[in-house]
Amino acid sequence: MSDFILTADDLHKSYGERAAVQGISFGVRRGEVFSLLGPNGAGKTTTISMLSCLIAPTRGDATIAGHSIRREPGAVKRAIGVVPQEIALYQALSARENLLFWGQMYGLGGASLRRRADEVLELVGLRDRANDRLETYSGGMQRRINLAAGLLHRPQLVFMDEPTVGIDPQSRRNILDMVKQLNAQGMTVLYTTHYMEEAQELSSRIGIIDHGKLIALGTLDELNRLVGEEDVVELQVGAESTPPELLRALNGVPGVSQASRENGTLRLLARDGNAALPELITLANSLGTRVTNVSIRVPNLEAVFLSLTGRALRD
Amino acid sequence: MKKILVIGLKDFSLIWRDRAALLLLLAAPFVLTLGLGFVSGRFAAGSGRAGLSDIPVVIVNQDHGQLGQALVNALSSKDLAGLLAPTTAGDPAAARGQVDANQAAAAVIVPAEFSTSTRPQPVPAPGGQTGPAAAIEVYANPAQPLNASVVQAIVQSFASQVETGRVSTQVTVQQLVAHGLVSPQQVAALAPAVAQRATAAEGTPLIRVSVQQSDAAGSGAVPQVDALAIFAPGMALMFLMYTVSYGGRNLLAERYAGTLARLLGTPTSAAQVLGGKLFGIFLTGLAQVSVLVVGTSLLFQLRWGDALAVAALIVAVTAAATGWGLVLAAVARTPAQVGSLGTALMLVFGMLSGAFIPLSTFPGWLQTLARISPNAWGLEAFTTLAQGGALSAIAPGLAVLLAMAAALFAAAVMMFRRSQLLKY
Amino acid sequence: MRQIIAIAWKDTLLRFSSRSELVFFIILPVVFTLILGGGLSKLGQSDNRVPVLVTDDDHSALSAELVQQLAGSATVRVVALDAPRAAAEFARNGTPAWVSVPAGFGAALSAGTPVALGVRSLPNNVNALAAQRAISLAASQVGQALEAASASTAEAERLRPFASAADRQAYFEASLRAAQAAFAAAPSGVQLTHPAASPAPDFNGNAQASAGQLITWVFIPLLGTSSLFAFERSTGTLRRLLTTPVGKATYLLGTIAGQLSLALVQMLLLVVFGSLALGLTWGSSPAGLAAVLVSFGLAAVALGTLLGTLVRTESQANGASMALGMSLALLGGCWYPLELFPSAARAAARVLPTAWAMQGLNNLLLRGAGLAGVLPQAGVLLGFAAVFFAVGVWRFRYE
Repeated sequence: MSDFILTADDLHKSYGERAAVQGISFGVRRGEVFSLLGPNGAGKTTTISMLSCLIAPTRGDATIAGHSIRREPGAVKRAIGVVPQEIALYQALSARENLLFWGQMYGLGGASLRRRADEVLELVGLRDRANDRLETYSGGMQRRINLAAGLLHRPQLVFMDEPTVGIDPQSRRNILDMVKQLNAQGMTVLYTTHYMEEAQELSSRIGIIDHGKLIALGTLDELNRLVGEEDVVELQVGAESTPPELLRALNGVPGVSQASRENGTLRLLARDGNAALPELITLANSLGTRVTNVSIRVPNLEAVFLSLTGRALRD
Repeated sequence: MKKILVIGLKDFSLIWRDRAALLLLLAAPFVLTLGLGFVSGRFAAGSGRAGLSDIPVVIVNQDHGQLGQALVNALSSKDLAGLLAPTTAGDPAAARGQVDANQAAAAVIVPAEFSTSTRPQPVPAPGGQTGPAAAIEVYANPAQPLNASVVQAIVQSFASQVETGRVSTQVTVQQLVAHGLVSPQQVAALAPAVAQRATAAEGTPLIRVSVQQSDAAGSGAVPQVDALAIFAPGMALMFLMYTVSYGGRNLLAERYAGTLARLLGTPTSAAQVLGGKLFGIFLTGLAQVSVLVVGTSLLFQLRWGDALAVAALIVAVTAAATGWGLVLAAVARTPAQVGSLGTALMLVFGMLSGAFIPLSTFPGWLQTLARISPNAWGLEAFTTLAQGGALSAIAPGLAVLLAMAAALFAAAVMMFRRSQLLKY
Repeated sequence: MRQIIAIAWKDTLLRFSSRSELVFFIILPVVFTLILGGGLSKLGQSDNRVPVLVTDDDHSALSAELVQQLAGSATVRVVALDAPRAAAEFARNGTPAWVSVPAGFGAALSAGTPVALGVRSLPNNVNALAAQRAISLAASQVGQALEAASASTAEAERLRPFASAADRQAYFEASLRAAQAAFAAAPSGVQLTHPAASPAPDFNGNAQASAGQLITWVFIPLLGTSSLFAFERSTGTLRRLLTTPVGKATYLLGTIAGQLSLALVQMLLLVVFGSLALGLTWGSSPAGLAAVLVSFGLAAVALGTLLGTLVRTESQANGASMALGMSLALLGGCWYPLELFPSAARAAARVLPTAWAMQGLNNLLLRGAGLAGVLPQAGVLLGFAAVFFAVGVWRFRYE
């Protein structure tokens, strides 16, 4: 398994009664982008925290670049770069001052650090505003520096914890492109997100995490195959209650499964949404339910998540 | 109008949930008032003695005559019982040693020849030397300058009484001889009697200094003053300035947090928002000062004066302070800036109000500068009320405070308009 | 090691990123020291003596002499006003004492009749006490010659009554002149001495006030270390720091060293200011001064670290630093000397690091102590530092 730069082996983390992470095991191959995909509160950040040696696992261990997170945290920290979910930078200092500081924390210094800081600023496209205080930056620009600060020491593996939350589409595009660029240059990336599109776009392999457990793991194709080639069909039916036999009836339609109701929406999986649609609507009408809006979504990770958990990925 | 009330009350209720703010708003002024009360001796048993008490003094009496003993008696007398804590030592070196070891404020050493040397010389000695040859030594502890100076003053006054007796006898006899009322041969017989009469008169100085302090209840026009009546309002006013700056800080913080923009998105005008914020700050300041006033009345038995007048003063001074808080918020750019400007202002105004050291020790221009603060006006009015003044006595001060409030509010509104703070 | 310096430097940049920091770092301390340390008079701006209201309703030669005697005092300054204005001024509470010379003062004294000099003073006021003493002193200086003359005249009268009032007056005046000459020629009956190693006693309290201000204005920002910790926790930078190879120990050392260094710079600036602007010598032992200041700095930053475990947000930390700082400074004798506190309060102050620092500085300034003389204080302060650090680091929350 020497091409695995990271192997997590049965990681557990409990806070008193509450189990945040319950037995997560996976591996990240050198040179790949691995995504941990899951809704808010699934345990992504806790897992990353354990892997970056911030908190100790209650049980289990992980090996990163040949070092155990339990026994050799210092060596692990030197090998990884961490881009946290929050903008953990000093707003009152300039971008350059921030980068120089964080570089020094990684043991860099002198002229080589200054050069490296310039390189990284160039990479994220903010070299011309390097001397401006961070508080004058937009959210997207701050995220870019946030990313830059994790790359100064040329780590082998970078953890990115939800790096695109709450920023404008332009900056998000920028970050996604950067990740791809970094990966093309040989950097391994462990990327957590709750945005399905990002996981799909970036990743070689994806681990789906929910309630502290890894419920699926594989390439995009492998995951999609888990639910077959099934469409997600949504029928808006309004706030009125629907008769209970409607769900049973819908499930009974050939090729249809996982019919559920969430607020004003009936959601189900169908092998061929287009073909099943007329029958679904007729069925609903016959049971006294009017359909006001229809959507069909072709197989994607949302569908996978739904089929595995019965819930939507994004709440 | 109602919106203003709603916004104001919301802000007001928020502040009472912030424990740290309460620490600074209420606890700190109490503790400082307490401390200053200690300093002024307000809490000492038997008032009137600015905290100096039980001054340790070591007496060494090497005198063979009566005067040395008289000094020891004077220092150990009942009158000085609370002020001094005298002990005696056998030899000067030991006494000085105690002072060096910081165990005594001063050592009083009466030399052996003191009584004899102060014996009057009715006939001038050849060479014209007429004074006592041996002086009482007061060996002062530099680490206790105030205590030492008290001891020195007491000994000095004793010595000068003795001196007066001596000179008096001397001059009397000299004059008698000079005017031919007595012959030189009769002097020796006469001198002791004269000296005795002079000593008897020592206790009744010609000029008697009679000190009236206001502990005498209601004696005519003597003003009733309680030192705490200066410290407590002084502290309350100083921390009131902090409160209003804190309010200004919250205003800017809301802008950052986006709730301000949200407020402005509702059908609420900028004026209403500003008015509401102002009202909230005002309410908080009002509550703070009121709690302090009531608290110190109960805990320290402090008399603030006529209730109605005090209430009016609280309203006026809080209004003026609120004006300052708004101006701060208009001038500063970030919440942190308001915080530090507010603290600086609080300290400077507090210093200039006269709460720590009397205004009279400041040069004239500084005293005038102090008048831009609500603290100086407020403190003056509070002390007037504490001495029994009526509402009419502080009316001019109230007018100034309200005018200050109005002017500052107008200035703040103008600055807000220009800074576009409320345009989102 | 390099990382410790990097952290300290980063904290310095952060602290001075806002210009208003200069206000607290140097401007306010200097202003307060100037005002409270008697610097105003040193700058020739004002007379630092205690003002005393004097009303002369007698307008005689003797009353004038009394006023003049008082005006020459080293401790009080005469403010001559007529009765109504003086009453108003006294009621306004600016002045601690008001002495009125009644009409008939001179005449009564010339006749040898005792007369009362009315003094109204504020109770519980150090300045009022000083004023009373000065007035008594002036009164006795004027009175003593009169007493002697009066006694002499009375004695003569016992032997043989005077022929006329004029004769009596002449005798009185002759006696008065003789008495005045005798008093003038007499050396002082009291000699004030002090330990050889110490400077002369500082009755104005300027040195003490400057020392007290130094302690106060260094103490508060060091307590503010708690705010720095809260800030790093809330912005997530502390968390991020812990994902770097920098360990917890290095982080704490760097942060604490940074704050302490800034405080030492601040102290140095205030010491220099004190000696240049106020003529303070800060004692004669630089080693002793350094020992007290460094050990105090350590105790204060340690207390700030401990405070950091008790507060959650930055604003809580700032409020607590200010409140705690001012209270401990006042109760430790930094604003008013501990001499003025009741003995119970003086004893209680021994648990306060500010009191020990003040005592150390007092030993240096007032008693001329050297390094050996302040070792006990420095030792206790280091002890405080050790205890506060132990608890603060043990309970430090990194989240």
